[in-house]
This record gives sequence, C-alpha cells and structure tokens, in this order.
Amino acid sequence: MTDRQTMALVLIAAPALVGGLLWCLPRRWVAPAAVTGAVITGTLAVTVAATALTDPGHPQAGTWVALDAAGGLLVGVVGVVGMVSVLASPAYLATAGDPAAGHGRRQRTYFAVLYAFWALLLAVPVAGNLGAAWLLVEATTAASALLVGFSGKARALEAGWKYLILTSLGLGIALFGVALVAAGVPGGGLGMLSWGVLSTYGAGPQTALVAYLLLVAGLAAKIGLAPVHNWLPDAHSEAPAPVSAMLSAALLPAVLLVAWRCEQGLAPVIRPGAAQAVLIGFGLVSIAVAVPFLSRPLAWKRLLAYSSLEHMGVITLGIGFATPLAMAGVAIHIVGHAIAKTLGFCAVTPLLAHEPGAAGHPVTGIARTQPALGATVALSLGTLSGLPPSPLFVSELLVISGGFQSGRPWVAATAALLLALAFIGLVRALLEATLGESAGRARRLDPRGTPRLAGLRGLTVLTAAALVLLLILGGASVWLPASDLVQALLKGVG
Amino acid sequence: MAWALVGLGLAALVVRRRSLAVGLVTVQSIVLVGLAVGEGDGADQRIAAAALAARSLALATLFLVLIARTREARPVRAGVGPLRRGGLGVALALALTWLVPSLGLASRDAERAVLALLAFGLVVASTRRATLFQVLGVVLVENGLVLAALHLPATSWLVEVGVAFDLTLVALVAGVFHERIFAEFGAGDTEALRSLRD
Repeated sequence: MTDRQTMALVLIAAPALVGGLLWCLPRRWVAPAAVTGAVITGTLAVTVAATALTDPGHPQAGTWVALDAAGGLLVGVVGVVGMVSVLASPAYLATAGDPAAGHGRRQRTYFAVLYAFWALLLAVPVAGNLGAAWLLVEATTAASALLVGFSGKARALEAGWKYLILTSLGLGIALFGVALVAAGVPGGGLGMLSWGVLSTYGAGPQTALVAYLLLVAGLAAKIGLAPVHNWLPDAHSEAPAPVSAMLSAALLPAVLLVAWRCEQGLAPVIRPGAAQAVLIGFGLVSIAVAVPFLSRPLAWKRLLAYSSLEHMGVITLGIGFATPLAMAGVAIHIVGHAIAKTLGFCAVTPLLAHEPGAAGHPVTGIARTQPALGATVALSLGTLSGLPPSPLFVSELLVISGGFQSGRPWVAATAALLLALAFIGLVRALLEATLGESAGRARRLDPRGTPRLAGLRGLTVLTAAALVLLLILGGASVWLPASDLVQALLKGVG
Repeated sequence: MAWALVGLGLAALVVRRRSLAVGLVTVQSIVLVGLAVGEGDGADQRIAAAALAARSLALATLFLVLIARTREARPVRAGVGPLRRGGLGVALALALTWLVPSLGLASRDAERAVLALLAFGLVVASTRRATLFQVLGVVLVENGLVLAALHLPATSWLVEVGVAFDLTLVALVAGVFHERIFAEFGAGDTEALRSLRD
C-alpha cells in the first residue's frame, strides 16, 4: 500500500473514530469534540486532496483503495463541506424545534450519525472497486436517512421515508448491474471488480450495455438525476440545514463519481459513444426538469434543492461529453457548486431565525432587513445562477463548449438554451430574495434593536471565505482546460 | 429451488396481511441460506452462508417486533388489488426476461428467477401503501440479487457480508421510520405522506 493510500485510510478512520468517541464523552464535551474533530478531518481531507491533485498523472489504484485526480477532488470537496456542516451544526441544534435538542441525547445522536455519514462519504471517492463503492453508497443511505428525519416532524418523516425507499430500490437495481458486471469479468466476483478490471468485461457489448444501464439508472436515483429525483427536493428541504449541505454538495457528486468510474470502465466494451450518450441523456433531462421549478417562487431550501437537480445535470452532461473543455467545466462546477450550495444551506439557520416564514415561503427583500444575510444569499444564489463572473458561468460555458468539441452541437445548443432559462429563473429569485418587497417588513431594522441571529457571525466569516475561494476558482478556470489535471480526469483511475 | 423462491415471492406480492408476507419472505431467505450452504464447502461460502443466515434471522426478528409494536385495527388498504398486483408482477417479470439478455449466471432458470424476484419486489414497493410492505419490496429485490450472487463464479466473502450488513442496516432504519410514522399518523400508511408537493 502506498503512502497516499495509507493517508486515505487514515482520513476515513479519523471521522469514524471521532463519531465513536462522541458516544462515550460527557455531554458537555460533545459539541467541542465534534468541532475539533471536524477541523482535524477537514485538514486531513484537504491534505489528501492536495497530494492527489498536485500529481494527477500518477493515480494510485489498489483493489480496495484508489486515489486519482477525480477522487482527490471529491475528497477535498467532501472534507471541506463536511467540516463546514459540523461547524454550522451547533447553531442549528440551538435553534431546532425541540428546546432540549441542543443539550440532550439528541445532540450526541446527531453528531455521531453525522460523523458516520461523513466517514462513509469520504470513503466513496477512494473506494478501489465497484463492490466496495456500492456498499459504501448504500451505507450512506442508512446514515443520511436518519439525519433527514432527525427533527421528527411529520414532513421530515415523509421526506426521510421517500428518500430511504426510493434510493434503496435504486441501489438494488444498481446492485443487479454490479452482479451482471461481476458475472462477465474473467475470474471476477463482487470483490474483484477494481475499476481497471471493468474494461476486461467479456460477456459481450449488449450485456455490458444492460449492466451499465442498470448501474447508472440505479445510481441516478441516489444522485437525484431526473426522472428518478423525486426524493431530492423533499429530503433537501426537510433535513437539518447542515445535513442538506452535505447531501447536496458532497453526497450527490460523490455518488456521481461512482457512475463516472463505471462509464470510464465499461465504455470501451460498449458500442462507441453509447455509454456517454446515457449520461448526456440523464444530464439533459435533469436540467430540463429543473427549469420550470427554478422559475417558480419557492421556499429557500426547495429552491436550492431544485438547483441541485440542475447542477447535477450540468456535471453529468460534462462527464458525458468527455472532452478536455467539458472536463475542465466539470471540475470547476463540482467545486463551485459545493461552495455556493454549502453557503446557501448554512444561511438557513439565521434566515429562519430572522424570518420563520421562510421555511414555507420564498425569501423576499432580505438585503433590506438584514444586509449581512442578504450578502450571503446574494453570493450563493448569484453563483448558483451562473451570473458572470461566477465560476459556474465559466464552467457552464466550458461544458457547452465541450459539447460542441465532442461533435454534439444540437445537444450543446439545447443545453445552452435550458441553462439560459434556468439562469433567468434563478436571477429573478435572486432579485426577489435580496431586493424584493418584503411584506410587512419593508423598513430596515435598526441593527441595535435586531435580536442576535444564531450563527450569523459564523456565516459572515463563511461568506468572506467563500468569496475568496470562488475568486481563486474563477482564476484557476483560465489555465485548467490545458492542465494535466484535466488529462488525468479524462483518463480516470484505470 | 429457484422456482420455489419465485412462488414465495409471488405469494408475498398478493397476500393481504403483513405478518403473512413477513413469513413468506423469511422462508424465502431461509431457502437462500440453504442454497448458499449447498454451493460449496469453502471458507468463503461458509462465511457468506453465515452472513445470509444472520441477515434472515435479524430481518425476521425486526419485522415481527415491528408488527407487535405497531398493531393496526385493520390492515392498510393496498393501492392496487391482489389480482392486479399479481398480474402486474408477472407481466413485469416476463417483460424483463424478454428484455434483459443472458446475465452469464450458471443456469438460465436462475436468471429468470432473479428477474422475477426483482419484478415482484418493485411491484410490491410501488403498489402497497403500507410502510412495512414497501420495506418487504426492497427485501424481495435484494433476495433476487442474493440469488444472482450465489450463482456468480467467485465472490468475496467480505462483500457478501457487507451486502448483508448494509441491507440489515437499511431495514433497521426503515423500522425506525415505520415506528415514528405509526406514532405520528396512527398507521403505517404512506397515503398520509403526501404533504410535500410543488
């Protein structure tokens, strides 16, 4: 085992150990220990990501642990999103409906399950074979479903139940695909399906295509790609806000990486272009389904959820185009989406404290009544809409250019049109949310008379950090298309 | 044996009472354990069979405890009647057999049985309103996949144990949700879970 693989294992062990430790610690130490553990795990994740991304030409692929450029990118994203989610959790717990939630057994349960979910998520991008990746993705379902239903409210139970059943069925279908692949790999078995072995599939292109379709369709249910996305808006809107951030910014792209690895492994066996066409189809349908919802006035968390559908569609489309330009777009989009979405969900706790009605109604005129919160909402939504010069504007441009580069002008043009419609819807929501008329609250509140909002100070720091990261990402997008990183993303772990 | 599994699956698809369905799915799981034991006497096969047996026992216990703790005055009505459910299940199974090419398993009968169990599980999960039946639908699908895994050329015991553990974990979480839904709405009926719409 190489140093890099050992580091990856240490990274997975760290949150698992902290999660276990939280069960044993005295109650008053739980939150401080969770916060400390988050900083340690986040730092470890960034270190592992940096080692993989600074040397993208030499992926480390073992039977059980693999670390390549895409895995490194996702480890970094999951690590940072997880860290921010844990750091934002004490404010959520302090304001959750149950007054005892911040101090009782529920706090311990929340952090322990959140850490288990985080550890599993960190393991998904470094899983060295398809069987292990499936196991980890399935295990994330159990942990995250508990978190979705954490509040115990009727709506949360409904969202958690839908999420559990739909994604379990989807993953059942994907497991069928895994079994099919295992049956066709010489000397294979469920534990022998390392990513590099997939291209040796020998049962013929037709069966390979069926296996691939089952895998992608099953995983799509977990990624939240249309038309199997029904759980996504409900789970994102009813889960605790820090958990929603992890679901949207970390879970979805991490599972998408598994589908991506399947595509890279099985594409050489299937009829040329067919594997990519499946991903392009899912991507395009997802964006198309998201557009009408993004044009409606929606409650903040549901708006962010439908935006996840759109952005997963863009990333899937870019992976399907599989050209250097599209890959550069995919890398920027994964990171930019994670930053903006984490920020958007972290804004929920102070937003609901300021305006409790925002749980069920669209946010309006927040910049007039609470400028700091308005700045966060504007940065998050402005980035997600792809408003220039946001990095997501650049990444969408790169993905569409990649579509033309791959010789699919009609698909690229359709995607451009759909993204323009989504942009209009989100920019309208941005203007309404920040500068719109806020019924009954048109006057700007006197800051001295405004009650202190839970988590607002932390959110201000997070907004500043997100702005810096987005500027860096925007700068990186200039050299990325011609970089070794993009070549490594195209090559994959095999 | 494969056709016995299909028969049990079809029965679980049409029965009305959840206790009966739990019994049928449990017998199905035990038959799968028997098949795993008969597959060979290597260490991997023994461990895989033990994992399957533990999973069957855990799921049966869990479901029976859930039934005992959430007694309902009358069974939750299904969205679709038993005859239509059976018809849908058989039609989907035949369609899958027609659409899906050879899976590469040892016997074609086993392949057909896998597809049939998959179809029955999907129909149970999508046509039954009772929460417990929806979980049983997932278990039916997984039983079909266990049958497929048993006919694979080589299987790592670690992955077999992992799959069994994962599914038990998911069923356990589903059990937690079932109890909380029952406590909130007075019945394990997904018809009550329709408030989230756009």
